[in-house]
Amino acid sequence: MTPKLTAPARGDNRRTGNAITRRRPAATTLAMFAVVVALPLVVPSATLACEILIFAMAVLGCNLLLGYTGLLSFGQAIFFGSGAYVAALAMIHWQVGLFTALLLAVAAGGLLALLVGALAIRRKGIYFVMLTLALTQMAYFIAYTLSDWTGGDNGLLDVPRPPVALGGFTLFDLETPLAFYSLVAVLFVLIYLGARRVIDSAFGSTLLAIRENEARAAAVGYDTRHFKILAFTLSGAVTGLAGALYAMLLNFVPLSNIELPMSEQILIMTIIGGTGSLFGSLLGAGTIVILGDLLSALWPRWMLLLGVALIAVVMFMRGGLWGGLEALGRRRAGASRKTQEDA
Amino acid sequence: MTTPLLETRDLTLAYGAFRAVDGVGLRIRPGTIHTVIGPNGAGKTSLFHCLTGERRASSGRILFDGRDITRRPAHGRVALGMARSFQITSLFQNLSVRENLRLAAQGTAGWRALNFWQRLDTHRRHAATADEMLERLALTERAELPAGTLSHGQQRILEVGMAMCARPRLLLLDEPTSGMGVDDIPTMTRLIGELGRNHTVLLIEHNMSIVMSISDTITVMNRGQILIEGPPQSVREDERVRTAYLGEAA
Repeated sequence: MTPKLTAPARGDNRRTGNAITRRRPAATTLAMFAVVVALPLVVPSATLACEILIFAMAVLGCNLLLGYTGLLSFGQAIFFGSGAYVAALAMIHWQVGLFTALLLAVAAGGLLALLVGALAIRRKGIYFVMLTLALTQMAYFIAYTLSDWTGGDNGLLDVPRPPVALGGFTLFDLETPLAFYSLVAVLFVLIYLGARRVIDSAFGSTLLAIRENEARAAAVGYDTRHFKILAFTLSGAVTGLAGALYAMLLNFVPLSNIELPMSEQILIMTIIGGTGSLFGSLLGAGTIVILGDLLSALWPRWMLLLGVALIAVVMFMRGGLWGGLEALGRRRAGASRKTQEDA
Repeated sequence: MTTPLLETRDLTLAYGAFRAVDGVGLRIRPGTIHTVIGPNGAGKTSLFHCLTGERRASSGRILFDGRDITRRPAHGRVALGMARSFQITSLFQNLSVRENLRLAAQGTAGWRALNFWQRLDTHRRHAATADEMLERLALTERAELPAGTLSHGQQRILEVGMAMCARPRLLLLDEPTSGMGVDDIPTMTRLIGELGRNHTVLLIEHNMSIVMSISDTITVMNRGQILIEGPPQSVREDERVRTAYLGEAA
């Protein structure tokens, strides 16, 4: 961008919350890289670092719907859980390799999201939300009923974590948490960059238009249903991948993966991190996972504190943690500009 | 007589027993500014909603360029070359003025707008249309501001500009001056007058000075039906029009 273009834009950043993140994608991408590299060194264990990035992936998927399209979906657990089950079952029963398992999870998440989306977007607002809630409940009871496959209440045990292999040759073993983290980190970076690309595309810009004013988007020629369904599919595919990685991390698929609280957890992370910000997804997932880890050691009722944190963010930080950081950055920039002017 | 660009045949929109639009036959010739006026409750906006696809007509047909579009949804009419503005300003409030126009231009891309992998730079055409329109609307200096921060008058102008971005063959404008201050009205009048030179425009309007100065044809509606139709001069002098308007006041 030429200086001429950026100069007048600076003043109105204040009013265009979302435009800022889109204007400085390079800086946030760099920050994302830094976090991904530093994470295993900073947090207590590599396993915890894995968990953060896995949930950050699911949050990216949720953000595409909530932050960019304005769709509050409680269906995310369906995609997360089905990704976990499909990958785990394929590895256990068909002995498929790592990448096949992950691809199957992506396909399962995407396909289910396509179906859930196509049904749910037939209604708007609260009725849309209720449909996603109802479908998640259904998915949960299906998983519960098919206990021969899913293990029911006990969960699906002995999920393997196959090595990175190519044509029968093991290239990279994933047994240690740090080795697994490197796989998760590479996938997370790819998903993040992919999400950035999707948001910067014609499709992504239209999602924002739908979020802003769906009637107008339809009036200027967009069939908004197609856009919402595609957003759902992409979201579900990413969430399915996250579910599969989570199963490999735990060597286990708990029934709770496909339960409503999983949807809630992903949504809370999205809102706390900041809707409509990709880096916010990482912040949200990181904050909740770390808080959960620290607080659960101190107090078994730590979820209560999480509720307080959510209330605080919703009441005082409309843009989530990312929005809060931005406001802080602007205030500092404003102060420094002022001192410059005074001098 | 030239074939009309838009034609309605016996168009009716009924809400229960009440017929908001009652057997309207409208013929809009290409290249003209055609205005629909009438007292409050005459059915102008209901007619407009049938034409844009917001409401489905209860009976009758709508033909655009000889093609039956009665059952086509609103978004599907844009691709054929129809674009509309809203009576109550309907913008993408938090997006920049330029982005509002660019999105409106991109709306004609159909399936191609679903491409989620190519960057926006590859769609330069739409950005160019937006920039062109910014110049034309005299909004270039405000291009980066969120649309919601514009003055009401400028929002009305942007509203019409977004409809123009689709490069439509027919522009449907629903009370473009509604709620505008007297200072902004001349700008809007000039804009619509300019549009009339290379577009076909269907206008619904209350402001009589605009209607009389820019329309080629005026249709006067009353109680869901067409009262009379003709050039401004003959409409102005028609006794029935006065009665319809005065009847409302009395």
